[in-house]
Amino acid sequence: MNNLAAQSAHLADTTSIVIDEVFPHRAEVLWRAITNGDLMGRWMMKPNGFAPEVGNRFTFQTTPAGAWDGTIRCEVLEVAPLERFAFAWRGGDEANVGYGSKLDTVVTFTLKRVQTGTRLRMEHSGFVLPKNDTAYTNMGKGWVKCVETLSTVAGEQA
Amino acid sequence: MIEATPVSVVMRALADPTRRAVFERVAGAEEITVAELTRGSGVTQGAISQHLKSLKQAGLVIERPEGRKVYYRAQPDGLEPLADWMKHYSIFWRDNFDKLRAVLKDIDPEDTSS
Repeated sequence: MNNLAAQSAHLADTTSIVIDEVFPHRAEVLWRAITNGDLMGRWMMKPNGFAPEVGNRFTFQTTPAGAWDGTIRCEVLEVAPLERFAFAWRGGDEANVGYGSKLDTVVTFTLKRVQTGTRLRMEHSGFVLPKNDTAYTNMGKGWVKCVETLSTVAGEQA
Repeated sequence: MIEATPVSVVMRALADPTRRAVFERVAGAEEITVAELTRGSGVTQGAISQHLKSLKQAGLVIERPEGRKVYYRAQPDGLEPLADWMKHYSIFWRDNFDKLRAVLKDIDPEDTSS
């Protein structure tokens, strides 16, 4: 490990999109909404071949871009009833910029009972980014725009 | 007009921790030379040059030759592909949460708050 790499080692390799909200419903209702294929289709996208079992492989069909046919390939990674539901989210193509670019990410839903209902935290992780404030502050409007758009950016060690 | 860089190229350029550190040092300085970057880095000047070349190809740094020296600086729009890409997904989830709220109301009208 050289000095430069050591300097950078503490920096996170990936960034997540995190949305954390409280819904005025019981955890059982929320759990059904996020792990039932028909209901998923009503608020997210309609999954093909989905079953809430670890190892299950399913797909979402979205708008194609360039060489990518628009298929998001998913795999159920974790099913802890009323607590956690996680799946891999892979798709895109090397040649695309922005929408449709290659990605290998993970979506994790975490549920928590609270007094007013259920707290749902969605983390879409695995976006590889440099993580250094000086880099961001010096990178001009592009980055500022991005940070403004993301409600919460939580960089975590992959 | 610079050709937009595919986001995967930007990511690959930044995936290497040493190269990311080089980029961060360039971004943190107004302008910096290879010699300055090499000093105290623990890697050779040749290695630094290679990293700078990758960063340049990814559209993250630009160079300005002056006499026998070459000055490097961060390309202001270098991270734009990443920003656009992340923005797409953050909007996607934000919208989905709104839709989820409506679906829950529909399947569970007797919510706990009423």
